[in-house]
Amino acid sequence: MSMEKSQKPKRVASQSSRYMLIFPLLVLVIYGVLFVLTPEQALVALKSSGKVCLNILLPLALVFVVMLVLNLFVKPTQIVHLLGSGANIKGILLSVAAGIISMGPIYVWYPLLKELREKGAGNMPIAVFLYNRAVKPFLLPVMIAYFGWVYVGILTVLTVLASVVNGYLVGMFAKTKTG
Amino acid sequence: MKIAISAERADLASDVAHRFGLSPYLLVVDTETMDFKALANPRATSQLGAGVRAVVFAIGEGVEVVLTGYCSPAVYNQLVSNGIKVITNVSGMVKEVIEKYKAGDFGRGLTVEEQKEQATRYINRDILARALKSSARQFVNILPILIGVVLCIGLFNAFVSKEALASIFSGNVVLDILWGACFGSILAGNPINSYVIGAALLNHGIGLFAVTALIVTWVTVGLVQLPAEIASLGLRFALLRSALCLVLAIPVAILTVMILNFITG
Repeated sequence: MSMEKSQKPKRVASQSSRYMLIFPLLVLVIYGVLFVLTPEQALVALKSSGKVCLNILLPLALVFVVMLVLNLFVKPTQIVHLLGSGANIKGILLSVAAGIISMGPIYVWYPLLKELREKGAGNMPIAVFLYNRAVKPFLLPVMIAYFGWVYVGILTVLTVLASVVNGYLVGMFAKTKTG
Repeated sequence: MKIAISAERADLASDVAHRFGLSPYLLVVDTETMDFKALANPRATSQLGAGVRAVVFAIGEGVEVVLTGYCSPAVYNQLVSNGIKVITNVSGMVKEVIEKYKAGDFGRGLTVEEQKEQATRYINRDILARALKSSARQFVNILPILIGVVLCIGLFNAFVSKEALASIFSGNVVLDILWGACFGSILAGNPINSYVIGAALLNHGIGLFAVTALIVTWVTVGLVQLPAEIASLGLRFALLRSALCLVLAIPVAILTVMILNFITG
């Protein structure tokens, strides 16, 4: 990977971290204004946020543990290797696995996906990979805490199935342009 | 027996340099004859590749023992993997250090096999430290937006009435799913935020169909990331993929809720 390519995600990441702070700060400003205009309602809002916060604390702790386990055992190079396995059944299953275990913001993955495609990876495995990023093992504790494990189980299975359908259709219709 | 010593100068009267691989010289000394060969390290001031070069030199010269002040875990691992015993915390004049070694002043120490086990532990510790750092960074990255979303949920709960929401989410399954999918496609960020928002919508009486569509499209369709996807993977691919994801969110949402209702009764 060239220097230019490797530095681009860093620049985007640093910009993104700044944007990330703007949103909560803006919400705090809104709270500040509301505390002046309607202090009682603003207090109700703050208490309500406090409750949501308390409910999410334990699942968040589990999120960190799962993140750590994934970071210990899964390396980006392994994911790229899984993705480059072709458009057969094995390749698709490996793309599903790669999408599920991949972490970090999507813009970090785009340059890698571009490179993979330039090396011959098809549209189907890339589309399957991108769809399966909707399955987040490290966020399962939070999702289960909110919606229950039955719902999470069903949605996960259907997401994986839909990813294959999506990949197949993208592969079919995008074929004429990108091969 | 040949011993490699990190040295400040290319002679036996030199002091032992503290760091193996980054020392100005590496001396390979024959303990029988005290003849020596010196390798000047041109990369002593830059870390890149200097350790590896020193390791390769030591292996090539048939060195059995390395004496130095400090050795990084990676270089230590490479040396002991090649059967070279490493003794650290060594300081003083090179000639005196060799005499001390010959006299057994450094003790028996660990065998090469024991050092190999130690090296594995070093590497594991290194991997754990990196994983911890990476997880902490990812976790901290989630927090600002999540805090903002949690605060917004508070505002939402306090200021948005069920009647106002009912004007958007009318109870019509298909329309509700489309609204959910639209919100999910426009909003972006870590999916954890979609779960928090989805749970808040459920509490306000919005159906699971719409919430599921929101959760599904939150990651699969990203209007915010679309320019980046177009730039990397092409206009046709990005638009086609996003449009198909949006359409697929409808059957996924319907099937998820139908199967859930079937299972839970």
